[in-house]
Amino acid sequence: MHVKVFAAPAALMLMVGALTTVSAQRNAADGARALEGGWVRLDTSGSGSFGGLTANFARAVLTPEGAAKIKPQRDPDDVDPDNRPHKAGEPYIVTQGRCGGFGPGGVEPNSAALFIVPTRDEVLLTREGPGARHIFTDGREHPPLSRISSAGLGHSTATWDNGDLVIDTVGLNEGGVTAGGWRTPETHLTERYHVADDGMHMRITFTWTDPKIYVQPHSYFFDFERIPADSYAFENWCDSGDPLQRQSVVPPEQLP
Amino acid sequence: MKAGIFVATLVGALTSVAVAQAPNPKDISGYWELTYMDSQHVPRAQLSPRVTRAVLDAQAQKDFKAVRWCNILGMPAIMASPRPLDIRQTEKMVVVAAEINAATRYIYLNRTAHISKDIFDPTTNGDSIAKWEGDTLVVDTLGFDPNKGVTAIPGGGFRTANTHLVERYRLLNNGSLLSVRFTWTDPGVFRTPHTYEFRYSRLPRDYEARLPLNCDPFDETRTAFLTARP
Repeated sequence: MHVKVFAAPAALMLMVGALTTVSAQRNAADGARALEGGWVRLDTSGSGSFGGLTANFARAVLTPEGAAKIKPQRDPDDVDPDNRPHKAGEPYIVTQGRCGGFGPGGVEPNSAALFIVPTRDEVLLTREGPGARHIFTDGREHPPLSRISSAGLGHSTATWDNGDLVIDTVGLNEGGVTAGGWRTPETHLTERYHVADDGMHMRITFTWTDPKIYVQPHSYFFDFERIPADSYAFENWCDSGDPLQRQSVVPPEQLP
Repeated sequence: MKAGIFVATLVGALTSVAVAQAPNPKDISGYWELTYMDSQHVPRAQLSPRVTRAVLDAQAQKDFKAVRWCNILGMPAIMASPRPLDIRQTEKMVVVAAEINAATRYIYLNRTAHISKDIFDPTTNGDSIAKWEGDTLVVDTLGFDPNKGVTAIPGGGFRTANTHLVERYRLLNNGSLLSVRFTWTDPGVFRTPHTYEFRYSRLPRDYEARLPLNCDPFDETRTAFLTARP
């Protein structure tokens, strides 16, 4: 009798514990199912070229040390500007035509589709060309910064929080951050991937944290739309050996 | 009686948890690497008589240009990567990400037909769909671009717009090896279907992926090395 009295609550507690675990796993699994697939960034400013999008973000509030770090950024592929006037139809060179890279800064999606592939140990973020971000969800910690390649993507780990994927990244190479920010390898980037209840829209909120650079965490977000169910990944093609690759500006005929 | 129900429910709940956490024999997710020398079994391809020396030389020139200018490599070069492949599988697709200059491969599990030729622009990786046949993942690929990337096929021959590739993925040795049998069919290139097998070793779970190998088409030292006579 006593056994029954104690066994039932014990079993209940065990079951509640087990179900709680199942529930937590279900939240992560639900989040993974919701995130999986292809997404395209939305031009919520309506400019047609994403040009006005980041202009609406709150500017970073920098410490004096952070402000001193800011320096002009130049794409290493750019060539010296040719400022003379060009006739309509005359192409001129503004870049070396070097192919490669993994989007601006390596972590912010551009207008090409972003694919999210959540699995048990890792979430893979891929695009329509070479390269991928490997986001570890197996509980590992960041290695020492000295062991992280300075080439751009840093080291990322993630957890699931109520179905949101929350990525923490360190070890990014030094450089500019959207809306007036700056980063060094020590700077933490937190990305929260949240899928709306309709399953068709996603928001990635970027938050940069570094007491040496920011007075307060610097945050902004990008919105995305799921690609159609019958769509598929394209393949970006770029040929550095094609002379036209460099002729990226051709002035059009001007209206009278 | 109530205690019995609790115990039965508890056993059921714990069984569900155990089942949910059991390794899936049909999940090829992981980091996979071709080991040195002993991981590739590639017989010589039986080429069509139409594939003359001149045809092979012209194709080799195109492949050389792709390497020279750091073009994305595509199939089948991506599967012969000297660095590990990160293969991730979900209910809807299998994704193959390489650490070389190759576009990520997407293999669709949720599609039973290829994208219409009227819509699909040929690519270096083609359009891949897959299904499980027992413990073997069978991947079917069409839609290769004959002029982009490195087209050479191990054992001889090259991919064209008419090439059909079937790959059979199977885990061996309790999941520590991944066998992939490639079968290429193209009447314009092969007299008989050309089949070979690669075996990839699973890397430890703590493996850390690296950035793709850098390829700089404007590196003069590299260019001189590639273009000079030895």
